Amino acid sequence: MTTEITIELDINGRSETLTLDPRVTLLDALREHLGLTGTKKGCDQGQCGACTVHVDGARVLSCLTLAAQAAGRPVTTIEGLSAPGGELHPVQAAFLEHDAFQCGYCTPGQIMSAVACIREGHAGSDEEIREYMAGNLCRCGAYPHIVAAVRQAAEMAS
Amino acid sequence: MTLLDTPRKHGDASDGGAIGARLSRLDGKLKITGAATYALEQPVDGLAYAVLVPATIGAGRVARIDVAAAKAAPGVRLILTPDDDLGLQPATDWNNVRASDGPYVPLPRDIAYNGQPVALVVADSLEQATEAARRLAIAYEEGPVTPGLDSPNAGEGSPLDQLSVAWGDAEAALAAAPVRVEAEYHTPREYHAAMEPHGLIARWEGDRLTVWEPSQWTHSMARSYAEWFGLPPENVRLVSPFVGGGFGSKGFSYGFGAIAAAAARRLGRPVKLAVTRPQNFAAYGGRAATRQSLALGATEDGVLQAIVLRGASETSTVGTWVEQVGAATPLMYAVPNFSARQRLVAVNTVTPGALRAPGKTPSAFAIESAIDELACAVGADPLEIRLRNYAEEDPQARKPWSTRRMREALAEGAEAFGWARRSREPRSMRDGHQLIGWGLATGTFPVIRNYGEALVRILADGSAEVVTGATDIGQGTYTILAQTAAEALGIPFERIDVRLGDSALPGAPVAGGSKLAGVMTGAVQKAAIAARDELIALALNDPNSPFRDTGANTLILADGRISAPRGDGPVVSVGELLGRIGRERIEVRRDTLPDHLQTPEGRFRAWTTMTTVQGPTAGDYSMHSWCAHFVEVRVDEDFGTIRVARMVSAFDCGRLYNPKLAESQWKGGIIMGIGMALLEEGLVDSRNGRVINNNLGDYLLPTNADVPDIRVIDVGIPDPHASALGGKGVGEVGIVGVAPAIANAVFHATGRRVRRLPITLDALV
Ligand code: FES
Ligand code: FES
Repeated sequence: MTTEITIELDINGRSETLTLDPRVTLLDALREHLGLTGTKKGCDQGQCGACTVHVDGARVLSCLTLAAQAAGRPVTTIEGLSAPGGELHPVQAAFLEHDAFQCGYCTPGQIMSAVACIREGHAGSDEEIREYMAGNLCRCGAYPHIVAAVRQAAEMAS
Repeated sequence: MTLLDTPRKHGDASDGGAIGARLSRLDGKLKITGAATYALEQPVDGLAYAVLVPATIGAGRVARIDVAAAKAAPGVRLILTPDDDLGLQPATDWNNVRASDGPYVPLPRDIAYNGQPVALVVADSLEQATEAARRLAIAYEEGPVTPGLDSPNAGEGSPLDQLSVAWGDAEAALAAAPVRVEAEYHTPREYHAAMEPHGLIARWEGDRLTVWEPSQWTHSMARSYAEWFGLPPENVRLVSPFVGGGFGSKGFSYGFGAIAAAAARRLGRPVKLAVTRPQNFAAYGGRAATRQSLALGATEDGVLQAIVLRGASETSTVGTWVEQVGAATPLMYAVPNFSARQRLVAVNTVTPGALRAPGKTPSAFAIESAIDELACAVGADPLEIRLRNYAEEDPQARKPWSTRRMREALAEGAEAFGWARRSREPRSMRDGHQLIGWGLATGTFPVIRNYGEALVRILADGSAEVVTGATDIGQGTYTILAQTAAEALGIPFERIDVRLGDSALPGAPVAGGSKLAGVMTGAVQKAAIAARDELIALALNDPNSPFRDTGANTLILADGRISAPRGDGPVVSVGELLGRIGRERIEVRRDTLPDHLQTPEGRFRAWTTMTTVQGPTAGDYSMHSWCAHFVEVRVDEDFGTIRVARMVSAFDCGRLYNPKLAESQWKGGIIMGIGMALLEEGLVDSRNGRVINNNLGDYLLPTNADVPDIRVIDVGIPDPHASALGGKGVGEVGIVGVAPAIANAVFHATGRRVRRLPITLDALV
């Protein structure tokens, strides 16, 4: 018999108390329990990057993270990226301008990775961006535009 | 106004209209903020979670399934196995044919391929269903397996006589030709691997079914569900507002959908089935493996005398899919003698399906590699040999091209790439340890036409709405339909809203075959012009209209405002006019169906089957999109690793409705072509027919680090025969010809001709 656990998650600055099966991943906690479906499930195996969120400010694959592991640590998802007034984050704005997506399914993960990539100091050149964004697959093939968007956002940030 | 500033129409954004402008995506903000809700993200109360259980043998039978342990697991609500009679009827296929032989059984006892569904487990949570599925004890009786096209026991298959193409006497002309190149080319199984996996939510309310499922064709998929469950078509609604990529895989309903919907009905509770990533490699088929032996006969100058193609492709033992390896072969070059035949080989796989540019892609790999081999054989430049054999008309249909800007594509692509600086000899260009190769190949995709239906609403606040059941799988339907309506209505793009992706909305064909844009811009333009005309008629005639007494006999609608053409009357906004004449909205629904389809049966057939499709040579012209790809590869001399260093591709796709979005699609196709050339291959376990690399870590897709700078060039001109607004297809042509361009570049770099995809380092060291 499964015993449920009660955990407190800090999602986009809001505290959420959840009573969950301990096997629930952070990704499923967001999507199935909190209605935060902006974070995508592309593989559930740590191979595509669609589920990328920030935990303690660093990029993390939420499909490989149990919800319980994130308890008490600040989690940022795509829904928490723009300013409260709705103003787009510079990376989001750059994605829109450069058409850095088509179907949009990999996009939240790409954007969360890109924000971290810039913050990590790994957006110094196109080559470096390609390398440090290589964990986020895009089957629509938006890569060249993603590189352009990250480059522009990185230049604005520096 | 002087003669000098008289506006001249170019058919692009310089005209000042919304069509042709480089606008950002209408649905972009939703997608970058996470607010776009895809099918499996719809909030539905009381969901139960289903897990599909796939067969682990390649052929044989399910002898028995012991469900006791699974049933006893916490939270389990329902288990379906081959022992359950789901009571389903067959659905109509895209040719409008409905099988009459007995029920439809999506959970059969007989196993035809590894990964075929054998059970469905439904529980209160995903975790519980996943755990319970593990507890099923399944006993199989294994039968002999034919794992793939090249397996020793696969045989030669059966001939597809309807695909045979012949003119002249190709065999004799080949035998007599002074120069012959003959070789065999292979392409493997490839997979769509859209980032959004398949799946659905099914909810019953009495005998009404709502299905939220990613879809390239809402009307046709809804029809399948209705027929499976014996319901009138209007009882099923299929909803798919955003689609995380399809590439051909999301045009049809599959067995897993029938099983999940049956479970939801039996449980009396909505069911969500997420097909797992590994299961996506067998729940529906990818591109079939192919084999072609291709012979070219030519004069000593490389002028083609004969082409002889003998091809084969795989299908399943339970369904037919033909990957047409001769799809591009007869179109590319002028040749007086031609013969192509194809065989179909049944193996133990899920039935393959349409993957971006089906047929054209493997077809172009062979012919565009072979023409490069011919260039080498006669000592000609690969660009020059294509001009020497330039097809001035469709060599097969003997009809003039509607538009074929292939010369321009070759010239402008070569110029931008710097092709003239290429040295002819293989292995003659290098940078330290890297061998540099420059390769070229061309591609094509037919213009396919069909019909569509749209509703346009002008609202009291002066904004407008476009509504149709067509879908946006990332190609930009939302955006270009808003652009079309904006231009026809004279209402700014920012004030147009678009609703898509719901079978309850007006009819549309599949978002496939690169035709949706051409079809639906035509339908929206027609509806929008009718709405504008109705608004103007009201403005001229309504007793409360400020234009009633102006004496004008027509009015101008621009920028959301109405005025008299002479500019001397009142200027009022659309919203203000509607207020004055007491109308809440103007609503017009139009379709582009011909008279003979203006019946309930005709409309239903048009929106749910392929039977109303017109091919590229249905009229007086032969209509196709065209492209030329120029590639630089760098091959490490010691390790054989291959990198695509840069690419330039020039396209003729007619008029572009939105170049920004079209360029994205071209590049996306090219990148998928890079994957096809260097990475992608479904590896099959010869013992049991299992796709071994059924995940995104082992089935290699191009990553950001694999993709270089890609420059795309538009050489198209509006093609009035192809579509209402002059566009040809954009979405698929980009992948066609990329693999041979890379293979040709690898040959130029290394002197090794690789005729089996993907090209990996073991072929070079
Ligand atoms: S869903 Fe987490 S990496 Fe793919
Ligand atoms: S935008 Fe479709 S997968 Fe990246």
